[in-house]
Amino acid sequence: MTGPVDIFDRNLLRQRRSRVAPDFAAHDFLFREIAERLAERTADVRRDFDTALDWGGRTGLYADAAQRLAPGKIGRLVHSEISFDLARDGRQAHGNPTIVADEEALPFAEHSFDLVVSAGTLHAVNDVPGALAQIQRALKPNGLFLGALLGGETLHELRTAWLAAEAEIEGGASPRVAPFAELADAAALLQRAGFALPVADLDPICVTYEHPLKLMHDLRGMGETNIRRDRRRTPTRRDTLFRTAEIYTERFAGPDNRIPATFEIFFLTGWAPDASQPKPLRPGSADSRLADALETFEQATGDAANPHPSKDQG
Amino acid sequence: MTTPDTKAGTTKVDPKLLEILVCPVTKGPLDYDAAAQELISKQAGLAYPIRNGIPIMLADEARALDADGK
Repeated sequence: MTGPVDIFDRNLLRQRRSRVAPDFAAHDFLFREIAERLAERTADVRRDFDTALDWGGRTGLYADAAQRLAPGKIGRLVHSEISFDLARDGRQAHGNPTIVADEEALPFAEHSFDLVVSAGTLHAVNDVPGALAQIQRALKPNGLFLGALLGGETLHELRTAWLAAEAEIEGGASPRVAPFAELADAAALLQRAGFALPVADLDPICVTYEHPLKLMHDLRGMGETNIRRDRRRTPTRRDTLFRTAEIYTERFAGPDNRIPATFEIFFLTGWAPDASQPKPLRPGSADSRLADALETFEQATGDAANPHPSKDQG
Repeated sequence: MTTPDTKAGTTKVDPKLLEILVCPVTKGPLDYDAAAQELISKQAGLAYPIRNGIPIMLADEARALDADGK
């Protein structure tokens, strides 16, 4: 997570999402679940949001989830999505103001929103710190960012099976699954982007399938297939594909013969800074001694601790 | 969620949306050309199209302005 990166082909992502738009509703379960969990978190916040942005929201699943699970919390919700087809389908469903935009180049003036939601889209952004900094600036002071990001061990079973099958059949491996952020990175990124009171927590979603090919079919249907610039450009060999499915089943299938697919979702919460928020005091600004509060003896810095304090020191 | 577009209005861009949109490249102001259905960024020399009432705020999809800024 250091230095500029350009590993994801954002134009390809846009094409993929537009291509899957006609049948997206049949494969949107993961993002529907993420949107619902974000809506529950919205409902838990003890304030309302006059203006909100669903940033990179595919067909705007968050609008539907928020209406059901956080009724009355949001006044006006703007929907943004990189694919025109998904944006248009979303607008037809929810009727909210909608734009097409790239999460790497936010087109909103500073202090436009009370809430920005990002439901499972930042894992495909090249410059995550930059994207978060832009979100922070688009928030009003004390505005809230609620994000969900695929990370960590997401699809580790598939990654393992691809590597093993390619090594076995083709004698080498190609990059198949996106590199994901770790939870500690996610919290640090929020802080780096200038968010106050940053929190990152992990909420896994485990799905099971009858067969690995059904998982791959779903990933394609949700527009989440490989957009790495270093992906291999030749079609996958059928024997490699079938060997991947075999290895996946051999190594991971449960007693019922169904295969698990892990999605690790990092939930990110951060607030745009505001004077009303609690802040740590400046070091040395205390007006009473910690030692007094604890009714103990204060040892000066640099002195060796006395393992056997005499009674009169107390 | 309180201001859903009417069926007849689905091809019109939301006026309140125009108040908060800026150019994604320069973060500068945009001029709305209602006749051409474009959002003009003079600083970037780009015109962003509006399709079906949906502003397309992508530099790749924008029209480059000519020397007169048209």
